[in-house]
Amino acid sequence: MVNSKQLVKLEMGAKAIEKGNLACPGCQLNLAFKHSLSALKNNAIVVVPACCTSVIQGAGQGYGMHVPIFNTAFASAPSVASGIARKLKLDGSDTTVVVWAGDGGTADIGFASLSGAAERNENILYIMYDNQGYQNTGNQKSGATPKGAKTSTTPYGKSNRRKDIARIMIAQEVPYVATANAAYPEDLYEKITRAANEFKGNFRFIQIFSPCPPGWTVDTRDIVEVGKLANSTGFWPMYEAVNGKVILSKRSARFMDPEKRTPVEEFLKIQGRFTDDPQVIKAVEDEINDIWEWLKKFM
Amino acid sequence: MLDMGKVEIWTGNQAIAEAAIRSRPEVIAAYPITPSTPIIETLSKAVETGRLRAEFIAVESEHSAMAGVIGGATAGARVFTATSSQGLLYMMEMIYWAGYGRLPIVIGLVNRALAPGWSIWVDHQDAYSMRDAGWMQFFAKNNQEAYDLIIQAFKIAENHDVYMPAAVNIDGFVLSHVAGQVMPLDQKTVDDFLPPLNPLFKLDPKNPVSFGSLTLPDDYRLLRQDLLDSMERAKTVIENVSKEWAEITERDWGGLVEIYGSETADVGIVALGTIAEEAEEAVDLLKSQGLDASVIRIRSFRPFPTEKIAKLARNYGKLMVIDRGFSFGSSSPLAMEVRNALYKNQVKVPVYSRPMGYGGTDVTYQEIAEVAQEVFKEEEEW
Repeated sequence: MVNSKQLVKLEMGAKAIEKGNLACPGCQLNLAFKHSLSALKNNAIVVVPACCTSVIQGAGQGYGMHVPIFNTAFASAPSVASGIARKLKLDGSDTTVVVWAGDGGTADIGFASLSGAAERNENILYIMYDNQGYQNTGNQKSGATPKGAKTSTTPYGKSNRRKDIARIMIAQEVPYVATANAAYPEDLYEKITRAANEFKGNFRFIQIFSPCPPGWTVDTRDIVEVGKLANSTGFWPMYEAVNGKVILSKRSARFMDPEKRTPVEEFLKIQGRFTDDPQVIKAVEDEINDIWEWLKKFM
Repeated sequence: MLDMGKVEIWTGNQAIAEAAIRSRPEVIAAYPITPSTPIIETLSKAVETGRLRAEFIAVESEHSAMAGVIGGATAGARVFTATSSQGLLYMMEMIYWAGYGRLPIVIGLVNRALAPGWSIWVDHQDAYSMRDAGWMQFFAKNNQEAYDLIIQAFKIAENHDVYMPAAVNIDGFVLSHVAGQVMPLDQKTVDDFLPPLNPLFKLDPKNPVSFGSLTLPDDYRLLRQDLLDSMERAKTVIENVSKEWAEITERDWGGLVEIYGSETADVGIVALGTIAEEAEEAVDLLKSQGLDASVIRIRSFRPFPTEKIAKLARNYGKLMVIDRGFSFGSSSPLAMEVRNALYKNQVKVPVYSRPMGYGGTDVTYQEIAEVAQEVFKEEEEW
């Protein structure tokens, strides 16, 4: 694995983000974007459906990203990317076609086109940055919002569990599926590199945990800590599923053992989304246990 | 040159598919719907057998069909798809994306009524639903014209003074599933007429730009003004391409408008597609009864030939507009266009709206003649 000093050096040559970027302070998706596109050496065409990234690129000619981006309608990104990828195939191009989409555009409105592109095994690297709600429009509930989380459309906490898209992609036999976390850029960098090189020509899916300071009411200075706690509490296991076989990532592996996990309250209390209601804590704990039990079956 | 000896008996769907193949699209994304399905079946086979060097994407919805060809076009490919009715409605968000995004996509639109109740038969409500999406909309009256229009549509759409998508409309079943005479062109003739797409812009990592990002009001206004101006310029391009086509094929369809009969008559019958061809028979019948009428067939609904219609209208005593569509709470869309053209140019000729043929209702030339006879007698109401 690359260390953080090596990562900084690797990214020097590929600057993915420019002046004019309009992201909120502490925005984790913006960091994840930078690391992901740097891993691709900017040799990418990026398709972005309606999401925070539609806005943070900047307005008009004040363009804040150093890769070509096609902004498209909410439900359409995987299909637009399919069309681009097919043309690049005819041209013999080695450019990676990336879908860069939020959780609403992936788990909800864009789900049919995601599933279609996965079924056709299109030559696309699909990156879902998961801030667990519609943050661009002010934190409404999405299919990826976890149980118990308060949003502006679940003001007393969501009553159902999150839709686990990585699991669904594994079920669809996507050859490379991975989860990552914006708090661990070295891990993310390696997964993007691996997806782009070793699994070129196939549909690839990476889901990145991307906490949102305003949406989750987290102090900017604590936002990386939220990501780290998501890992150490077991809330967000990082893994790769290669042809259906799950391989835990180094940073997450030891939290398979519940004894080693940080108490989940640490993760919940640092955010404004959750109450200290024991039922909420129990619901999150149960979900964590079930995720790990499911993962074990595929190891 | 034109393979004059060769005459095929093709359905409208076959004619469209064969013309699309001749036009060498590189990316086709499609989803089946009656009555346009045979077009995409033919294309998928042409790709699978290697007859056409292209990528065929069998997507999971019409929304994705239009999204797929949008993707192909932004990467610099010539692209094509086909749909009908509900399929067009389902892809409507992406239809606007293609139009406002200025991508020279061509679609074969086999017109069919909208549900409920389920109807697979023709009317033009589907076509009218995309009226303001920034697309050119052409209507064919027979299978030969459908063939010719597809190839012309690419040339017009890809012209840098125009650069916008185009829909070629044929009447569902009346043309799509009825075989008729079509004289196809050989590949060289089409290649000479339609050179490869020269994209105005495309996505390229060496020149990173953002397409369709947040656009502030002043820039947005400029983009739409440019679309308005391009639609105006398209009128000239359509006329010129039509003339060029006539020189090559000896088939002159008349550019924006085709007149059947005299350019001066008591009644001018305005219509689209197959109803206009049926109206030609009605004009002959009326003539035998001593009544003087002509057909004014609108070939391009968008851009609408406003000036041309106003100029022509001065030569007619009355205009009768037959339309397969309706704008509930107002009038028929085609009649509205004609009235707008006349008012704008201060031409005071009565316009009688006589919509017919909803949901596949048969419209015969006898019926058209009967309705026209009433219009001949009308004195006040218009």
